[in-house]
Amino acid sequence: MSEKLLIGRTIDTGSWVHSIDPRAKMIAMMLYVVIIILSNTWLEMACVVVFSLAIIALTRIHIKYFIRAAKPLWVLMLFIFIVQCIKVVDKNGAILLSIGSWNLYVEGFKLGLFSVLRMVFLVSFTAILTFTTTPGRLNQGLEGVLKPLKVIRVSPDRFTLMVSIALRFIPSILEEAQIILKAQASRGADVRELPWKEKGKMLVSLLVPVTVGAFRRAEDLVHSMESRGFRMGEPRTKYHSLVWRSRDTIFIGFFIIMLIAMVWMSGYGTGELWTL
Amino acid sequence: MKQRDLKGPHGTTNVVEETVRNPNVMPSPYSPTIELVGVSYGYGKDLPVIDDITLSIPQGQWVTLVGANGCGKSTLVKLMNALLPKGEGSIKVKGLELQSDTIGKIRQTIGMVFQNPDNQFIGATVEEDIVFGLEGQCLSIEVMEERVKSYAARLGITDLLYKHPSELSGGQKQRVAIASILSMEPEVVIFDEASSMLDEKTRNELLNILSDMHKSGRYTIISITHDAQEIAASERVLVLHEGKLIADRTPTELFQDEKILEMSHVIAPFAFQLTRELHRYGLDISIPNCEKELMEALWPLHLRK
Repeated sequence: MSEKLLIGRTIDTGSWVHSIDPRAKMIAMMLYVVIIILSNTWLEMACVVVFSLAIIALTRIHIKYFIRAAKPLWVLMLFIFIVQCIKVVDKNGAILLSIGSWNLYVEGFKLGLFSVLRMVFLVSFTAILTFTTTPGRLNQGLEGVLKPLKVIRVSPDRFTLMVSIALRFIPSILEEAQIILKAQASRGADVRELPWKEKGKMLVSLLVPVTVGAFRRAEDLVHSMESRGFRMGEPRTKYHSLVWRSRDTIFIGFFIIMLIAMVWMSGYGTGELWTL
Repeated sequence: MKQRDLKGPHGTTNVVEETVRNPNVMPSPYSPTIELVGVSYGYGKDLPVIDDITLSIPQGQWVTLVGANGCGKSTLVKLMNALLPKGEGSIKVKGLELQSDTIGKIRQTIGMVFQNPDNQFIGATVEEDIVFGLEGQCLSIEVMEERVKSYAARLGITDLLYKHPSELSGGQKQRVAIASILSMEPEVVIFDEASSMLDEKTRNELLNILSDMHKSGRYTIISITHDAQEIAASERVLVLHEGKLIADRTPTELFQDEKILEMSHVIAPFAFQLTRELHRYGLDISIPNCEKELMEALWPLHLRK
């Protein structure tokens, strides 16, 4: 089960991107979301593709990992593509395909393709964040990015502690679920061989021991944390503190330039020439 | 009590010798590290988990706590560290009465290593786990770096510092847990069945760590265990039965008392069992501390034949 889980897994190649401050990466990812939303024409999309591939190349991580990150979403992507194709009715637009009374318009096809492309790049590209940053640093970055929330009395430390414990225990709990599944299988109740309805019932019987196990772990963990002097809200020093360097600014700079280019292209209609 | 010249910085050797002979007599210049007076805890009056326990443990002593499952051993040590709400009686750690305002200080004095090595691993890497407690003590980065380095080296986990817990074996995780606790430099270290989930070899490694800690004289050790070897290595055994303290003696005394052994669900080491059998056959051999000692006592008998 954990073999297939790519989310949260760091792939260390020691690249330049790996050394970037996690806060910078998070801000860059937010900018990337805006960039991808703004890309409406073929030229803009081409620019996003080139830009994304260039950054991916900088990470020195094999592209197959990025493709694999987006793979689980293929059903959703197909669904979005089909919905866009069916939904768009462009009376004056060109027809790409005609089946009976139903027409597939070029505009619908384009919109569908764009949505899928956007999604693919959004998911694969943002995987850079988890591929190049260890969960610990990611969490520190999150704490840094969430700091402004202190104004509205939301404590970022509390939130990041929660995230770090969740990240730490997800593999352990999955492992425990596997053990319970195997224990049930060894007594003749193999989930894989059951019909879907029975599978559902079995999963409920799996949920109870796993939840109980999680609570037991939580209690042990609380004892361990408290005996090490942890008290919520008490002052703590930081062992790994994040230092903002010029390379982090340069990294964000790439994204800002790209964003400005996007705004400029859509504003001046440069891309119109390339629109289908 | 006879006052002796004290060796070493804490005078531990002599304090320990004196207390083993008579644990209730304390050398006057040294106040006990842990002192419990009339401690009771339970869920209602009819269900006491801990029933009126009074004891004191001097600095530097290695105490094992034995008893059947569910007799209240874990509850008792958790009470010492305020991990459970306060019950009746008074608990003093280093002369400090356990109260809501002293919990922080007391937890700095007591470190605890638990049974399940997986569930006490807080950080995402070994280094993060060690540092967790140190950050809470508000230490500077330099001090933390120094502590991580020295305690990782002491427990032989320097190569594992950047590993995720899933990459470690049970024994390695337990070493990390001990390093995390020792790096906080507590004076009392409690092992709550820390060896029960380990294999024989790792258990011996843990025993060596405990012996080294004891030899250093810096730590008062309280260990909950069922392991005869670990009990034999300690200086004093407290036996708990249905929440009551029924015996407080040396391991040798405990292993000779079949009734208490039965009540505490402890099996005496092989050397003790064999000696007892031999006594039944009329052989007069002194009680050995280990198998080697027994062998030494037995082979001259063969020669005499």
